[in-house]
Amino acid sequence: MSHSSTRTGYALGAITILFFGLTALLLSNSWGHPPARQQIALVDKAFLEKTPWRQTYTDLVQAKEDMSDFDCYGCHDKKKPPVLRFDANSILIVPEEHKNIVMGHGSHNRNNLCYNCHNESNLETFQVRDGRELKFADSTQLCGSCHGPNYRDWDAGAHGRINGYWNTSLGEAQKLACANCHDPHAPRIPTHHPAPGPHALRTPITAEYSPVPTH
Amino acid sequence: MITAARQYLIFLQRSARIAFVGDWRYYTWMAVLTAITLLGLNAYAKQLVHGLVVTGMSDEVSWGVYIANFTFLVGVAAAAVMMVIPVYIYDNEELHDLVIFGELLAVAAIIMCLLFVTVDLGRPDRFWHLIPGIGQMNFPNSMLSWDVLVLNGYLLLNVHICGYLIYCRYQNRKPTKWFYIPFVFGAIIWAVSIHTVTAFLYVGLGGRPFWNASIVGPRFLASAFTAGPAIIILALQIIRSVTQYRITDKALLTLRSIVQVSMIINVFLLVCEIFKEFYSGTTHGASAKYLFFGLHGHYALVPWIWTAITFNLIAMVILVLPVSRSLRWLDVACVLSIVGIWIEKGMGLVIPGFIPTPLGAVVDYVPSLNETLVCLGIWAFGLLCYTIFLRMSVPILQGRLTQANEGLPEITEDAPTDTALPRPAAH
Amino acid sequence: MSSPEPTLHSDQPVTGSTDRRSFLRSTAAFAGLSALAASLAPLRELKDFSSSEEFLQKYYKELSPEEMKKVLLRITDEVEHQYGIRPHVRDLKPMDGVEFVYALNLTRCIGCRKCVHACVAENNQSRSPEIQYIRVLKMPHGSMDVEKGNHVYDDKEVPDKGFFYMPVQCQQCKNPPCVKVCPVNATWQEKDGITVIDYDWCIGCRYCEAACPYWARRFNFTKPEIPADRLNPEMAYLGNRPRKQGVMEKCHFCIQRTRVGKYPACLEVCPVGARKFGNILDPESEISYILRTKRVFIQLKEEMGTSPRFFYYFDK
Repeated sequence: MSHSSTRTGYALGAITILFFGLTALLLSNSWGHPPARQQIALVDKAFLEKTPWRQTYTDLVQAKEDMSDFDCYGCHDKKKPPVLRFDANSILIVPEEHKNIVMGHGSHNRNNLCYNCHNESNLETFQVRDGRELKFADSTQLCGSCHGPNYRDWDAGAHGRINGYWNTSLGEAQKLACANCHDPHAPRIPTHHPAPGPHALRTPITAEYSPVPTH
Repeated sequence: MITAARQYLIFLQRSARIAFVGDWRYYTWMAVLTAITLLGLNAYAKQLVHGLVVTGMSDEVSWGVYIANFTFLVGVAAAAVMMVIPVYIYDNEELHDLVIFGELLAVAAIIMCLLFVTVDLGRPDRFWHLIPGIGQMNFPNSMLSWDVLVLNGYLLLNVHICGYLIYCRYQNRKPTKWFYIPFVFGAIIWAVSIHTVTAFLYVGLGGRPFWNASIVGPRFLASAFTAGPAIIILALQIIRSVTQYRITDKALLTLRSIVQVSMIINVFLLVCEIFKEFYSGTTHGASAKYLFFGLHGHYALVPWIWTAITFNLIAMVILVLPVSRSLRWLDVACVLSIVGIWIEKGMGLVIPGFIPTPLGAVVDYVPSLNETLVCLGIWAFGLLCYTIFLRMSVPILQGRLTQANEGLPEITEDAPTDTALPRPAAH
Repeated sequence: MSSPEPTLHSDQPVTGSTDRRSFLRSTAAFAGLSALAASLAPLRELKDFSSSEEFLQKYYKELSPEEMKKVLLRITDEVEHQYGIRPHVRDLKPMDGVEFVYALNLTRCIGCRKCVHACVAENNQSRSPEIQYIRVLKMPHGSMDVEKGNHVYDDKEVPDKGFFYMPVQCQQCKNPPCVKVCPVNATWQEKDGITVIDYDWCIGCRYCEAACPYWARRFNFTKPEIPADRLNPEMAYLGNRPRKQGVMEKCHFCIQRTRVGKYPACLEVCPVGARKFGNILDPESEISYILRTKRVFIQLKEEMGTSPRFFYYFDK
């Protein structure tokens, strides 16, 4: 037997061992497993809510809610318009009975007078600057009397939200009123807690790649 | 007709048989390659079950080392044919017989390319959707459909040329010129096209400014014509040492001049690119900034690219100096340029194109173990194919395996590969 | 390497050593085959990868109405089998005379991310790993450079002073790069302007993901996971039916809603009415009004020539 064929024999033996070893290694299945699925908490269903933040007078009527808040003459005297009082800085003092109202409409206290909107001679209606009297249900027209461009946009559907059907021949479009989103006494949209941010598949996304600091 | 078919089948059977015989070195080499291939196959089976989640890719960096290797190997395949140009256009006799080794390398590289694309698919079971006729091929809009066409076409061209020339040699007759010369010229043009199309795959994406640059195509070709012949220089030396097939130093030095010129052009184009990305200072340079210097505290690719550039520069200097006329230095330069270009085109071209994402996020990419095993498996399989191709063709080219010695005792299993088969008494 | 000794073996007699070698070769081959089998062992776990019906299913545009019925039935059964809920799966076609356009008011958006999660809930996106079609960027005032955006802000309260918020989702381009690059036509633009994906045709090459300048496309890197109690059973073939591992998905303007006349889910949940959607071919629609009257509106990365159907605009 030649030198070379002895070597071949050894090589074949080694190869057999290599392949059997490989078989055992592969069957041990000890690598290449997928990373464990991240435990991501399901989002709070509150974030999926479509109902607007606020209910308007009309909503409350439709929902048959307690309307006693709108029964002005349950407390006030029909013949005596309430007198407004101001502090030393000419800032309106909100009476104790209405302390839930935050006066925040307009900057620099320029809209600091209840009767800019409420009708002093009939508290259950609004008064517009042009002298018209409006029902509570028609509050959008009252807002529009000052906020012309926004009212125009809202009227065209460009300001505020419309839910339901974009194609009104197939279903109803539900248009929200100003007061569904804006508190008439403090119309600026309040800040909110945001829904959770994204979870990346790999390197957890951190804010570090962003030059914008988070607070 | 039937006799011709019968003869061809005998040829195939004899060459297949010889792929399974060799000496102990051959067996060991093949066994090691098979073992690595199986590790890769195993890793791919896991990927098939669990999805691409077992790789390091993500929605942010949605292509990784699979496509990087694919891009590199398209270059190798294209460049293998570059040996053909001196032979058929400039009638370089030294390289004449070596062309087949180059084309066989191209075949092996294309097989690897197709495998790398396949393992990158999320739904390989739907591969048939690509086949025109039964599927839907988005041709000519999608550059990927172009790529599928040109790669397969190139594979067929090279299989035809090699197969035909080897079979003629087996039958000991002169090849009919019209039956292969047109294909040879076709393959030369096709070689440029496969790499250009692959470059266009990236260049066509307007949303990725790092790729959307016209220099990518020329750079692809320059780097391919460096790395491809460099691989062939190394392969030829290995063939020479294990088979005693006559390969002259002059042939290797002819290839050296191809590598030399390509490397100079490659480095020049790199300089052009770096200048464009950094001098203008536009925000479109973010990917290049990430690649070369890191971005927002992420430096994953910085060591890679500087290694690549260092290797390429050293290789260029060696290649330009007369020292590279000595094979030892030439080998060093070849290894450096292969590694350098692999990094540059893989980690350096594919990955930074994704970073930052079109929405500005910087997410690093690191290939996973499983992904790396799949890559190694495909490389091992490619080498396995190339070894088998050489094992079949070398005895035929040496005239040890011919139609004339059909029926005579075959090369036995442990015969050293250079042993001649008994020659027929009368020719 | 040493050169092998030039021995002639051609007429070597059959000896015991040859027998032993052929035995050794057989064992080596057997060992190799066992390693091959072992390497394929993980495939045992390959379950419901692709049913034969799904595997052989034709391209969406080539399905006859009867074939589509069968496909919808198969999907219905699969969903019921997996989630225990029988869904209502439809193949909704685009309406005539309708081209959808979206507009987002950057003056209004407060960055609350409600749209992100409403979208996930509506469109049956995977919860882990997480797939979301909308990414909200927190941007410093004065810049539209997305690289300055923060994706992961976790402020207690939004909006934060000095920042604006820019939600980005599929821009439903008129000239979509993703459609152009898809090698198998698995994604295309419908006549109402929505770029859709046939999840049963996609091969998962992710070329579209690389092509999209808005990072709008998502890939199912593994089998998606949706808790059964959060599954939305109102489904569309090109819309929110559950996806499989290895395919792409993205925002489709809530096809299952918008093609029956409803607003998309992200719009309906927006607390500030920053999101506007409608038919641009209808001059009376709010979307037509916005594009007619607002002075500044932006197509993100306009220079890409993608011509998005998604506009960003400002009130003041």
